[in-house]
Amino acid sequence: MSFSRRNFLIATGVAAAAGSVLTACSSGDSSGGSSGGKQEAAKAQTTTVKIGTAEDSKGPAPEVSGAKKGGKVYLLNDDDFSHLDPQRVYYAWNSLAVIVINRALTGYKIADDGSQTLVGDLATDTGTMKDGGKTWSFTLKDGVKWEDGSDVTVDDVRHGFERAFASYITEGAMYVQSWLTGSTDYRKSYSGPYSGKHLKSITTSGKTITFHLSEARPDFNYVVAMQTYAPTPVKHDTKQNYDKKPFSNGPYKVKSHDTDKSMVLVRNEHWDASTDPIRNAYPDEFDFSFGIEQLTAIDRLLADSGNDQYAVSWRTIPQERVQKAQTDAKDRIFQGLSSGVSLYWINTTRITDKDVREAIIKAWPTAAIRQLQGGSVRGDYATGVMSPLVAGYKSQDVWGKLKNPAGDPAAAKKILEKAGKTGAKVVYAYQQDPTQAKIKVVVENALKAAGFDVVSKGIDSTTWYDQTGKIANPYDIYWGGWSSDWPTGYSVFQPLFDSKAIADGGSNYSHLKDPAVDAAIKAATAETDNDKANAMWAALDKQVTETGAFIPDVYMRRLYLHGSKLGNVKMDPNFDGCMLYKLYVKA
Amino acid sequence: MTSTDQQPFLSVKDLKVHFSTEDGVVKAVDGLSFDLMRGKTLGIVGESGSGKSVTNLTILGLHNPDSTAVEGSIELDGQELNGAPEKTLEHLRGNKMAMIFQDALASLSPYHTIGAQIGEVYRKHKGASKKEARERAIEMLRRVGIPQPESRVDNYPHEFSGGMRQRAMIAMALVCDPELLIADEPTTALDVTVQAQIMDLLKDLQREFGTAIIFITHDLGVIADIADEVLVMYGGRCVERGTKKEVLRSPQHPYTWGLLASMPSLDGPVDVPLNPIPGSPPSLLNPPSGCRFHPRCAFAEKVGGNRCATESPVLEITDGRGSACHLTDEQRTEHLADLTAAKHH
Amino acid sequence: MFRFLVRRILGAVITLFIISAITFMLFYAVPRDPARMACGKLCTPETLQLIRHNMGIDEALPVQYWHWITGIFLGREYPGFGHCNAPCLGYSFVNREPVLSTIADRFPTTVSLALGSAVVFLIFGIGTGMLAAVKQGKALDKIASSASLVASSMQIYFVGPLALYFLVYQFHILDQPSYNSFLGDPLSWANGLLVPWLVLALIWTANYTRMTRSQLVETLTEDYVRTARAKGMSRRNVFFRFAWRGAMAPIVTIFGIDLGTLLGGAMITEYTFSLQGIGLLSVKSVQTNDLPMLLGIMVITSSFVVIANIIVDAVYGLIDPRIRLA
Repeated sequence: MSFSRRNFLIATGVAAAAGSVLTACSSGDSSGGSSGGKQEAAKAQTTTVKIGTAEDSKGPAPEVSGAKKGGKVYLLNDDDFSHLDPQRVYYAWNSLAVIVINRALTGYKIADDGSQTLVGDLATDTGTMKDGGKTWSFTLKDGVKWEDGSDVTVDDVRHGFERAFASYITEGAMYVQSWLTGSTDYRKSYSGPYSGKHLKSITTSGKTITFHLSEARPDFNYVVAMQTYAPTPVKHDTKQNYDKKPFSNGPYKVKSHDTDKSMVLVRNEHWDASTDPIRNAYPDEFDFSFGIEQLTAIDRLLADSGNDQYAVSWRTIPQERVQKAQTDAKDRIFQGLSSGVSLYWINTTRITDKDVREAIIKAWPTAAIRQLQGGSVRGDYATGVMSPLVAGYKSQDVWGKLKNPAGDPAAAKKILEKAGKTGAKVVYAYQQDPTQAKIKVVVENALKAAGFDVVSKGIDSTTWYDQTGKIANPYDIYWGGWSSDWPTGYSVFQPLFDSKAIADGGSNYSHLKDPAVDAAIKAATAETDNDKANAMWAALDKQVTETGAFIPDVYMRRLYLHGSKLGNVKMDPNFDGCMLYKLYVKA
Repeated sequence: MTSTDQQPFLSVKDLKVHFSTEDGVVKAVDGLSFDLMRGKTLGIVGESGSGKSVTNLTILGLHNPDSTAVEGSIELDGQELNGAPEKTLEHLRGNKMAMIFQDALASLSPYHTIGAQIGEVYRKHKGASKKEARERAIEMLRRVGIPQPESRVDNYPHEFSGGMRQRAMIAMALVCDPELLIADEPTTALDVTVQAQIMDLLKDLQREFGTAIIFITHDLGVIADIADEVLVMYGGRCVERGTKKEVLRSPQHPYTWGLLASMPSLDGPVDVPLNPIPGSPPSLLNPPSGCRFHPRCAFAEKVGGNRCATESPVLEITDGRGSACHLTDEQRTEHLADLTAAKHH
Repeated sequence: MFRFLVRRILGAVITLFIISAITFMLFYAVPRDPARMACGKLCTPETLQLIRHNMGIDEALPVQYWHWITGIFLGREYPGFGHCNAPCLGYSFVNREPVLSTIADRFPTTVSLALGSAVVFLIFGIGTGMLAAVKQGKALDKIASSASLVASSMQIYFVGPLALYFLVYQFHILDQPSYNSFLGDPLSWANGLLVPWLVLALIWTANYTRMTRSQLVETLTEDYVRTARAKGMSRRNVFFRFAWRGAMAPIVTIFGIDLGTLLGGAMITEYTFSLQGIGLLSVKSVQTNDLPMLLGIMVITSSFVVIANIIVDAVYGLIDPRIRLA
């Protein structure tokens, strides 16, 4: 799977390829023994995503104990970042780098224990909501500056939102654009700032910018933390070329960028730590090398010699090196639960009988599949589609997957017999690679044992999402993955289960069209009380699981390695990779 | 060339050439002796595989030293060649002794011009400059009768006709005025007119320079044309030796009789049927016992007993004449008389 | 010679057109949408259409191909990328740089890798092959022959990581593979490529050892080699000027083809050693459905193969005067 990483990322946003998401600890699985505690820690960290106060939003970021300033850090990456232009950044592996160049209105302040607080980053606080979530205002802090020393203005912030409408910007998130125009085909209403017109739905006054949304968005302050909505300076907007060398307002600026080869980030002297509650920014320089393949990068880190002692890889430890890393470099591993959730979609337009779906889910050999993908390091057994990292997550086990991850073909057989559907034909689609070919056999055996007539169809992994993303696809079961764009339930359930998201290339892969689910999504979206809304999303997790539109697989884990001369290298819970702004170079 | 020198120029004594192969030892030459005077031509006759070519390659030292055992003595102008160091042989080859090969197309390098191939011999042995060597090559080509040698000298072998290639080959062999020239079936592949021209050329050159020539052929007609003395080989051994006249007019060995009978007679009637020797040449890996020719010999019965199959006939040479056969002189005379009678019938 | 060149170059141009057309068609024969990749995680049909327009893939296939061809000679205007100067092979869908400049950027790496390893494997392969041929049947020959058999059955993805582990990570004997411009610093250029050269050469050497040996064994028995010896030429002279001259022609042919292939990018080697050459670029382009890049690579690398063939034929004519070029 290592070859198809970029494609995978692009199609799902889950920056992980099957088999490459690995971590040392297990959980959920009673045989996991002593490591069970870590799962609890992961749960703890997620439930504490809270909304910070203006006080929380003040800089500087709390010091990391033992950390010191200075030094150079080397990054070993396989591919160059697909985008640096904030409006074009969507995927986690881009965000991880861009977050030290671009600040947005809000951001996540991450404590040493991994707990997160949403705070104002460029804004003084997390915004003021009016009209039940339809109007949001943010006020910029004093002293936030671009790399040339000029102030970050509300015009720059507005320019960021407006340029997301430009015809050449097609890669970023689209949520805010449609809320600002009231249409998913938002370019019809507004064609971007280059014509000299501004959006009517954004107003500015002094240092305050106000958004007038077409629908209530009580979690709008989470959404503007996305890099897609970071400001771009009106004076330095180089349009298409901005992507290669963006203008910085964060602690680092791009010194040089040789596409696909290298990039050097150096300190932005005009960044003022006292305005930034999130970033520590200890090292003086980050040197990115691109084109270093996953295995090479990990082998270099394992050897830990020369400059590689100051290095960290953007890629996880591949399955074949996990054991070596755990033996030889245990103290240099950093890891965590990622925001990605792995699951298998059941095509509800083809399998309309819920009993049949239930039989499939019951029979599904989740434990054997996880074993083939690295075992407990692959992830924790999932019970639904909502990651433990999403606010309000509540453990549930509709299908008894925690009790019996191996699956129960006998029980499935009974359900199928009762429904009179024994011998029903199911088409299982899988990506053509060695691991998936093994999984196919396990799946076939389990479904056959349950009384299904199984047909497996291999699909070239480069066309996987093109094929499974079609409404009229000829498959009944296919793998999928998802990670939320911000840690509330909206960006999980709306894209995946709203009947409006059923389209060719759309994100409702199971084609679930359930009025009750649609209504519940609508209700939770409009709820202005955060705690209530979170509880509603958690309930929705159970509700969609019960529809049998998907088979829960795992909450994915990730395992990374860093050089011995780096300290406080931790995994970002939102972007699933190392936090550049928290690590430091040891003396 | 003075003929007062009575020492043979080339003297081969009891030469044995054995190759070791995976199947065993091949006795390609098994006790061969002969002498050759300056300015004289020795014709060596025999079928393919009789050992005639091997003999001559061995004289030049071109056998593979790793797999070949050479016994006996090869003296050239009083110098022993068997066991001589490679440097010595290198110096003699192409210089004092030269060889003309049968298939000129295969034997000339396709990658070098005729001029370069001739010239490099001259440069190697005479220390000539490139320019001198080229002039010498042109001169040699002119001498062997190549028209427009000045332009032809820069041609590649494939741009020459078959006869011209053979002439070029001769030019190459003669460029250093060798004292011994070994010609291995030089005319076999050529048509009769060209063959005659080449033969005349060799004779002219010999007359002019007094070169000793060993002429290898299986064609007795050619022997009749050029040789002074004849040596008939069979199965790696000499079966008969003598002057051209002696061997062709009064052959003593049944094999020679067979050879003569198998060729069309130039002076006889054309309608006499040819009589090829029945059977095939002997295996040199497991040669027949006794006389090696006995399995094919029509006269073995005449000798009587089982002598031909058990006893190897000794080659007795008197004044350069003799043969290796158990037949008595009377039996031979009788046969030759019959033959003459048949001819005159 | 002139006629030969004109004829062959014309043939080459036609070949390249056919290759590009086939690549074009094959790319679309698979149900994939490059636009989907440039579209966000939550893509809308409107955005997809816009991306197709930006990329210039919203038109009928023959029209797209026509634009591609005319772009080579006249340059081209992209709605999403801006102007592309002639000779334009398009813009990459992935890194959004002109295809030609990306290929030009990667090419020195591939050329350095190919030529450097070729020098090593030619010296060692031909050298060992010559020794084996001279010492035919002896111990040295047997060792060389069996060693080359072992080496030729090895694979880069096996030897490569092994060499990296021992030579670089474990014992630090050689430098971490990297590409540095030859013009910038020849020493670090050679240092950075030493490991890949050696590994690539190890595997290729074997082929050339066997080929050289068998060719030489054959030509050493040629009549003209015997003639050269009969002329009194020294063994060395006979070996190099005659036997080797004859053995060279087929080796040059194979080398031409091999070099063409190597210049097309040694994919596994570049991948193993993380060298950003044409091979790695093509692997990535396949993975990312980067049609313009793939087309560009196909056209450039096949022109190298075609040019290599023409050169080989021309050189063959020089080596063997019997071959006439027309």
